[in-house]
Amino acid sequence: MFNSFRMSMGWVHTWLGLVLGFVLMICFFFGALSVFDREIDRWAIPDTRFEPQPMPSFDEVLKPVFDELKPHPTDMAATQQRVIGDLPDPDTMPLKSLYAYTTHRDPVLRIGGEFGIPNEPKDPADDHLHVHGWATVNPTTGETLSDSALKIGSDWFYPMHFNLHLRWNMLGYWIVGVAALVLLAALVTGVIIHRKLFREFFTFRPWKHVLRSSLDLHNVTGVVALPFHFFFAFTALVIFATNIYLPLSHTTLKPLHEQHEKLEAERTGLPHEESGEAAPLASVDAMVAEAKRRWAERDMPGEVGYLFMDHIGDENSYVSIYRAGSDRVALVGEGIHFKASTGEVIREEPPRSVVASIDEFLTGLHLQHFEHWMLRWLYVFGGLLGAICIATGFILFVEKRKARHAKAGSQGSRIVDAMAVTTVTGMVIAAVSMLVANRILPADLAGKGQWEQTVFWWAWGLAFLHAAWRSSPVAKARVNPAWREQSWVLAALSLLAVVMNWVTTGDHLIKTLFTDTYWAVAGVDLSLIATALIAMLVARKLGAKATETVKPKRGKSAQHNKQVNAYD
Amino acid sequence: MISQTALHITNRIIAAFLGGYAFTWGLSALAITTMVTLGIDFHEAETGMTLVAFLVFLALFLWTFAAASMLRVWLVLAGGAAVMMLIATMLQNSLVS
Repeated sequence: MFNSFRMSMGWVHTWLGLVLGFVLMICFFFGALSVFDREIDRWAIPDTRFEPQPMPSFDEVLKPVFDELKPHPTDMAATQQRVIGDLPDPDTMPLKSLYAYTTHRDPVLRIGGEFGIPNEPKDPADDHLHVHGWATVNPTTGETLSDSALKIGSDWFYPMHFNLHLRWNMLGYWIVGVAALVLLAALVTGVIIHRKLFREFFTFRPWKHVLRSSLDLHNVTGVVALPFHFFFAFTALVIFATNIYLPLSHTTLKPLHEQHEKLEAERTGLPHEESGEAAPLASVDAMVAEAKRRWAERDMPGEVGYLFMDHIGDENSYVSIYRAGSDRVALVGEGIHFKASTGEVIREEPPRSVVASIDEFLTGLHLQHFEHWMLRWLYVFGGLLGAICIATGFILFVEKRKARHAKAGSQGSRIVDAMAVTTVTGMVIAAVSMLVANRILPADLAGKGQWEQTVFWWAWGLAFLHAAWRSSPVAKARVNPAWREQSWVLAALSLLAVVMNWVTTGDHLIKTLFTDTYWAVAGVDLSLIATALIAMLVARKLGAKATETVKPKRGKSAQHNKQVNAYD
Repeated sequence: MISQTALHITNRIIAAFLGGYAFTWGLSALAITTMVTLGIDFHEAETGMTLVAFLVFLALFLWTFAAASMLRVWLVLAGGAAVMMLIATMLQNSLVS
């Protein structure tokens, strides 16, 4: 199989593409949902259904909030494992640093900080240990949101697409990283084998129709969106390169990096350590005003995206104010740093270098914090095209082999098909089940977010069991009825989610579209309805196929995947 | 019983993922230390290298499956990684001291 260049490339495409394809389905689908993560949050947390807010006044709104911020119990437990002796009472720990972060799509504000502890670390290399605290704030009232309210979009679907929620030893990140590399390889090898494959299938008469239609869809979605797929897989690796995939500066080049950091601290004048002398805090609002004035002077007026303060209460304390990148393909930047006790400017960051600009542009284009709604939707369609490409790849794999496997008594196609059902309809069922659970569980239920996660995993697990249980026809070269059955389930769940949103919040589509327009909720509802319609159409077509022929074929399978995945 | 083919494929997969990764790691270390030696800022060099590293990894990855001789593949990947790591470490030592 490695005798010729083209055959070896075909092997890489087929087998690595198949194995990592199941992961790539997750990346593409949840990546597509992540484009509207904030909007899904609004749907899931009705208390936050109001307009996006700019960074609120620090002196009036945020300072009292930070005064109330406490170390988070989760991080208390995690830090206790790493230090010698018992941690002190969390209420007595001093806040050492703080941050606040928002974007043009956020009604609520994320804040957090580090609390100082006297304990020595168990591992001496584990220096600068702190206990972290975090919260989500309603900037219009200064109230913090309940911890049990899970942000399903930005804290569940979004991390799913880059770490699969497998946190143990960063395993999820590594699996996704391998999948990204394999996607790059699959795109290159796909182009190499393309013509050859086409000719092969032309002579494959008995299944010509089924194979041709799924192959065409596989090629079209792969080739048309090839730059898109290549870009996202490549930038995914670049985004995590320095911290996870190639952490040279923390390992091999640590000495060189530390030397650079020391020189850098001297050059920028931002103190790395505390002085030990207490000092008061000047008006942060005045610093924000000064930062905005300087941005406007540089012909780039803007809002604050990120606010950071280090060495709080110390003479060496400083405040860093970063501009939100809403109007350009970049993240927060143009940082201006102030001395916290006096409010004087310590440093204004110079414009980015060429290399940093390229990097910023590439990662910014992936993370898309900028404001451009049409491009946002194109991202969703691009992600769904990727999912279709991979799903049709599964179909091709099964269709090409199932007759042969049936003759030889092999279970290979059957297993792949069951996994395909699980990662196509099963995955969407899991996501929609979570939304249904979100609207059925009472808002004041303790640990509500935990329950929603449980529903998500159980729904997905049941979809897998169902697909496996119904898969025996595939071993006889027929169709797995699970495709059709799960499409019906998906249609029902999607409609149920829309109805439950109406019942529990009163936000029906006539209201969110016309009388009291709120696009975040209307968009999720409309996408759910679209999902339901497509799933019903697919289920009906698959049903008709199953009854019209003695020996059912999967003529619509490719289209099926396309339609099921057109969910947002 | 493990067939000859299975062993052969396993060898290619290990070489492609781990060998390719080791080579990419060594190349990145060497490129960054070389650039810093030439007076380029550390983070500039690091960022620049991340933009190149995964394209190199991809090329090595595909070459591993296409190559006729696995011996040559391992010589280049493992040998290259070792040599580059050695030079990078020497460069770093001279820079830090």
